[in-house]
Amino acid sequence: MNATGDFYTVQPKDAPAEMEEVRKLLAANDLELDDQIEVFAVCRRQGRLVACAGLDHYTIKCVAVAEDTRGESLSLRLGSEVVKLAAERGAFHLFLYSAPHNLPFFRGWGFYPLIEVPQRVVLMENSPVAIERYCDSLRAQRRPGRKIGGIVLNANPFTLGHRYLVERAARACDWLHVFVVKEDASLFSYADRFALVAAGVKGIDNLTLYPGSDYIISRATFPGYFLKEKTIIDHSWAAIDLLLFREYIAPALGITHRYVGTEPFDSVTNNYNADMKLWLEHAASAAPPITVVEVTRATIRGIPISATEVRRLLAQRDFGKTAALVPATTQQFLESKFPVAASNTQMKGQIA
Amino acid sequence: MKVIKEAIAGTLESSDLLVKVAPSDKGTREIVIRSEVIKRFGKQIRNVVNDVLDKLSVSDGSIVIEDKGALDCVIRARVQAAVLRACGSEELDWGTLS
Repeated sequence: MNATGDFYTVQPKDAPAEMEEVRKLLAANDLELDDQIEVFAVCRRQGRLVACAGLDHYTIKCVAVAEDTRGESLSLRLGSEVVKLAAERGAFHLFLYSAPHNLPFFRGWGFYPLIEVPQRVVLMENSPVAIERYCDSLRAQRRPGRKIGGIVLNANPFTLGHRYLVERAARACDWLHVFVVKEDASLFSYADRFALVAAGVKGIDNLTLYPGSDYIISRATFPGYFLKEKTIIDHSWAAIDLLLFREYIAPALGITHRYVGTEPFDSVTNNYNADMKLWLEHAASAAPPITVVEVTRATIRGIPISATEVRRLLAQRDFGKTAALVPATTQQFLESKFPVAASNTQMKGQIA
Repeated sequence: MKVIKEAIAGTLESSDLLVKVAPSDKGTREIVIRSEVIKRFGKQIRNVVNDVLDKLSVSDGSIVIEDKGALDCVIRARVQAAVLRACGSEELDWGTLS
């Protein structure tokens, strides 16, 4: 053992006893254990766990150093260890959540602040230039006009409801910018979702379709979005995602209005819509407010069209009913991708 | 050499540096240096980095450096290691690096 201590990694699911020590260290630093963390980098000194840093895919959270071991180089070694750990797992563009008062500490780890929700949380990334480069690429796509719309779709999968929303927004705006959520955490893969959106919005001319990015509804900006049924969402996490949109993405493209469908079924998305008005329109920010336009969902025979319903029908292979809810392009895809002949029970298990 | 993937080398500890290399779609070399001693040694660090990249014939890619006051020889070693990893290179002509 060296003077600093031994650094090693812990997978929460394999080490319940050790996680109890991690939990205590976090609690002593007013932090809660985040159950999305896949792996921790930890330091043990003379038998005692003195430092930890958690990694959820490409986001670092739950960083703590025991108070009596601060002021040494321990924290920088911890930072190096967790960055190396992420690299070994294929993640190089990293994000980090911190309490605002610890921001200077993480500057020493090579992280730069992106968005701060005052008194609550700050999101940082490990590049001083990545967000600006991304915004530069968006700026190249700017279009003239007074009313410029923006929509973010997960489209899991693309339905006639999405088509209706996009059409309505495109008609109301001089130009419309549409983003597809990139994260592969939904039933349909990102590649499939994107292809179905591209096919589904054909014929609308004043529109640009963008691949998603880590800055728009990603595990980094809005982890709660991908845990829908599981947890109660921390509102500050939606705030981070929305403030990123307001302060970086919208100004780069000149977006003045954000369009969203009303959400009758899914409470996470419904909360997100409410948060949208707060953070895009009302909250104090250096960036100008963006008007949120909630478009009443398209209905078929009085029932709102939703992707959730399409997935439910799909689990039962009820293609007769899905056909009424999705455009022909999506329907063809569903029928080819989910053959009735396939082992029904097995597929149901995957979808549930 | 061509940068084909992301790679890192180094640490964040004092007297070391962390070098992050990534492919760039712009076809140019983009070097960003953050250093605790940027005012005194910024130019010198940039010269060293450029020299290593020239010797390895790296013409495009994004190089981000977090320097914690490393000596030139350390900077050279870390930049070389990161670039070689980013180029997926197993073999190296050591002569070109002298």
